[in-house]
Amino acid sequence: MYVQYKPKRGLLGTIFQVEILQGMALTLKRLFSKPITRQYPDVKPVIRPGFRGQHALVRDPETGDSKCIGCMRCAMACPSRCIRIRSHKGKEPGAKRKIDCYRIESLRCVYCGYCEEVCPVNAIVLTEVYEYGSYDRPSLYFTREQLLANWDRFVEEKGADMENYVNPFWRPRGLAEADLPAPKRLSVSAEWRGEEQVVGRKWQQQQAAQQD
Amino acid sequence: MNIIMLLVWILILFAVVMLHVAYATYFERKIIGHMQVRVGPMRVGWHGLLQPIADGVKSFFKEDIIPENADKPTFLAAPIICLVAMMTSLAVLPFAKGWVLADIDIGLLFIFAMSSLASYGVVLAGWASNSKYSFLGGLRSMAQVISYEISMGLSLVGVMLMAGSLNLTQIVEAQGDSFLGMYLMPQCIGFFVFFISMLAETNRVPFDLPEAETELVSGYSTEYSGMRYAIFFMAEYIGMMVMASIATICYLGGWNGPFEVALFPPFWFVLKVYLFMFLFIWIRATLPRYRYDQLMDLGWKLLIPLALANIVLTACFRAILA
Repeated sequence: MYVQYKPKRGLLGTIFQVEILQGMALTLKRLFSKPITRQYPDVKPVIRPGFRGQHALVRDPETGDSKCIGCMRCAMACPSRCIRIRSHKGKEPGAKRKIDCYRIESLRCVYCGYCEEVCPVNAIVLTEVYEYGSYDRPSLYFTREQLLANWDRFVEEKGADMENYVNPFWRPRGLAEADLPAPKRLSVSAEWRGEEQVVGRKWQQQQAAQQD
Repeated sequence: MNIIMLLVWILILFAVVMLHVAYATYFERKIIGHMQVRVGPMRVGWHGLLQPIADGVKSFFKEDIIPENADKPTFLAAPIICLVAMMTSLAVLPFAKGWVLADIDIGLLFIFAMSSLASYGVVLAGWASNSKYSFLGGLRSMAQVISYEISMGLSLVGVMLMAGSLNLTQIVEAQGDSFLGMYLMPQCIGFFVFFISMLAETNRVPFDLPEAETELVSGYSTEYSGMRYAIFFMAEYIGMMVMASIATICYLGGWNGPFEVALFPPFWFVLKVYLFMFLFIWIRATLPRYRYDQLMDLGWKLLIPLALANIVLTACFRAILA
């Protein structure tokens, strides 16, 4: 491929360096435009739905405890291996699995959101809280109690519209209703539903199957 | 002149220039910020107005690190050479009629000598730091000096020919107080050459090869810290102001303006200098850095022949008209 490094220009263009003057005109124009800077601590950024911030375990209003069933899917899906779960099951038949320990090392987390996507019961969430820096590491190594407290704090901050709060990651976009486990079939706006989406391989396969 | 009065004048000039240096950095950061659709410093004081003071205090109290393998006496002397040379040139600048510390007859030559001496500070800093980046920075500065000093000197020969003097006050007076008297029009080639050499001389973008943050991590000043680093910056900004003043004196008619400002005679001079400072910053916000060989090409193949042609033309016109 022939690349023309030196654009052709007339004698006057060479003498007056038109390109430089054009650039100067542009910067001068920008000098009088409105800056796009957001003065962060004074002006907070707008958090859009699906923001992946501080981790939390959803507190089930019925039991008052977390919804986690100890299936280990989040720990398996986690690319940075920052989730650590210990659980045990009682000897008697029909006993539920009990979570002894659920820890997230948030310093290692990459905030990919796979854990909340893969969770069959919507137990883990990445909330919209992003200001939780700390001066020591242990306080960022969240325990189960801390994670539940994070959720409580998030609910308190979020306030009134909490009843309708659905994180888009609880119900991954582009998946059909039938492909989701029962607790993930949440009522969401139409644009999130698989029927309205054009992304996701399963959705595409389904479309192809319907056409045949 | 009374020696005490002279000292007082020196102190006043020093204080004013230092304040200007401090606020030139603020001005530069603000202007470049707005040109890049940012806001620049905002936190210290109203719209960041106290930022230069904070910067000064910070750099003053920072640890002064001297590298183990540095050539110590040279390392310590380099920033001081830069600053002293630049500040000395302030003495001969006429800010208004009679507002000059030393009205010497070789003013222009003196300025040349001092601005060349300041480049030695940069070269020595690069050498003495004993670091590869600093060394490359010093090397580039050296090459820049030999290609741009010549064209700058030659471009001002036209002005000398027209004014018939090297005394800066007389150069301004030779231009008269009319708009057409300014040497900008008859010496437009000389001004063009001088302007580009001026950018190269003060190590400003697009000719900031000796410091080149992106490739040489601040070049000659890589190993400097704290106050010594700040001294290099001061020298650079005073250099900018001196060069802007020379351009004002030699091409824009110095302190002469459309009308006299009785309260503050250097009003027009200061305004023109600010204009040049804005131009410096504007160019910095716009242009990328020249490549090393492009810089040499421009200096030797374009600016020096142009300056020589300008001298011949000016001399011919002088001979015909006078």
